Amino acid sequence: MEKIAVRNLTKVFPARIGSVPALSSLDLTVRDGEFFVLLGPSGCGKTTLLRIMAGLERSTGGTLTIARTGGDRPLTAMVFQEDSIFPWMTVEDNVAYGLRLRGVPAPVVMEKVKHYVEKVGLSRFARAYPYQLSGGMKKRVSVARAFAADPEVLLMDEPFGELDEQTRLLLQGELVKIWEESLKTVVFITHSIDEAVMLADRVGLLTARPGRIKALVDVPFPRPRQAYEIRTDPACARLTRSLWELLREEVLKAKAEETAGVGAAL
Amino acid sequence: MAQLSDDRTVPTPPAAARSTPRLGLLAEQVLALASPLLLVGLWEGLVRLRVLDARFFPAPSSIIGTFADLLTSGELFRHVGASLKRVLLGFLVGGAPALGLGLIMGLSRWARAALNPIISATYPIPKSAILPLVMLIFGLGDASKVALVAIGVFYLVLINTMAGVLNIPSIFLDVGRNFGASRLQVFRTIALPGALPLVFAGLKLGLGIGLVLIVIAEIVGARNGIGYMIWQAWTIFQVERMYVGLVVIAILGWLAALLLDAIERLLIPWKPRR
Repeated sequence: MEKIAVRNLTKVFPARIGSVPALSSLDLTVRDGEFFVLLGPSGCGKTTLLRIMAGLERSTGGTLTIARTGGDRPLTAMVFQEDSIFPWMTVEDNVAYGLRLRGVPAPVVMEKVKHYVEKVGLSRFARAYPYQLSGGMKKRVSVARAFAADPEVLLMDEPFGELDEQTRLLLQGELVKIWEESLKTVVFITHSIDEAVMLADRVGLLTARPGRIKALVDVPFPRPRQAYEIRTDPACARLTRSLWELLREEVLKAKAEETAGVGAAL
Repeated sequence: MAQLSDDRTVPTPPAAARSTPRLGLLAEQVLALASPLLLVGLWEGLVRLRVLDARFFPAPSSIIGTFADLLTSGELFRHVGASLKRVLLGFLVGGAPALGLGLIMGLSRWARAALNPIISATYPIPKSAILPLVMLIFGLGDASKVALVAIGVFYLVLINTMAGVLNIPSIFLDVGRNFGASRLQVFRTIALPGALPLVFAGLKLGLGIGLVLIVIAEIVGARNGIGYMIWQAWTIFQVERMYVGLVVIAILGWLAALLLDAIERLLIPWKPRR
């Protein structure tokens, strides 16, 4: 069953001279309940695509539909790359944010918040303010906030990009655990092949700008996956390698365009 | 383990050297208290030795005497009460709409485009310069004093609130939009709490300007209040009373600042303490 249908999606940003196409006739189908990872070179329009899904940006053309299951659940909840939890709310209040906006009765909110705060291992910090938390803990709060809002689709924009590797590996594991229980559809952006292989059911490779889908690759490894076990698996090595070969072309193209752009500007 | 035993070989500073910071702190506190007392003592001594002219610089002891007289007669309370009432009302009348308008102007580009030129053009006008106009419009009673304070507070709270909203990182507004927050919810959950630290900066500046303006307004035309008391003391050459007025204003300003700080700590518990 398809959860997200992207058809012929185009996004053009106006620039000082002319315009910059970010996405060009992009087609993509994300299945219900799958962990879908978008992999692409930097500046390829991944974040633009995600922001359009999140309703933070309007497309220039084409359609994007997210299937609704009913109720007043929000279409999407996003985990941003930067720190995005509100400094003026406690951990609890941050996690409760989406539910409170919708006027969910307080006892239900309390119960859900408790559940997700516990899931991300922050029960002892439930009443703490963000300035008292480490970077990894803040990320956990924003993951909990997104899950607690109970959206149709979870969007994650390189959420672990700024963390150190050890924290990142831990959080990837925790994310998958929470996700497996929730049966939610996830669209996750990364530029890390390792992260894609670790997390994804399916990887969508994006081309250099203007972005479109270059290839869809299944990641067939059983869950739960262990970061260092999966890396020693020869099948995984083959997959990582073929992903890199596909990606490499696009990274080179993106670089070439970047230098051409600089050349033109000079 | 090796690390641990290494730590033990590090020479520890002698006990005396380690206790200096605490001793230094105590000395600092003593000094902070002693220096103003010393100054007052010096003043008193110089007046008694007739080095200082008591007509301009009456001895602290005689100022304290006047202070006590004014306290027991209830006259001081009457003046302080009148001034406080005006400043407080002015704060409310000027601050509340400034907060609302500042939030709107911070969030809406249209509101900013429409109102910012007017605000920027009228803000630099000295508030004391419009006192005659304010008295013309609001009369000689309390209303004109309240209005003058309100105008002074209004600009400072408005400008700081707007800056506070504009300084909120756009990521937080993105979160609100992504979660489907309504305009009112964005106001309540993002713009207001996010702007609050600067709102308080505006209130503290407003307090300073409010005290300046109330004294000016009371000097020009009032039958009571601290400004009136100081002015009247001048007309009858009661220099001690003038000094009492100055001391009282200083104390009021200090207490009000303490109160604002306490409210700020209560309303912004999420700000790291320094």
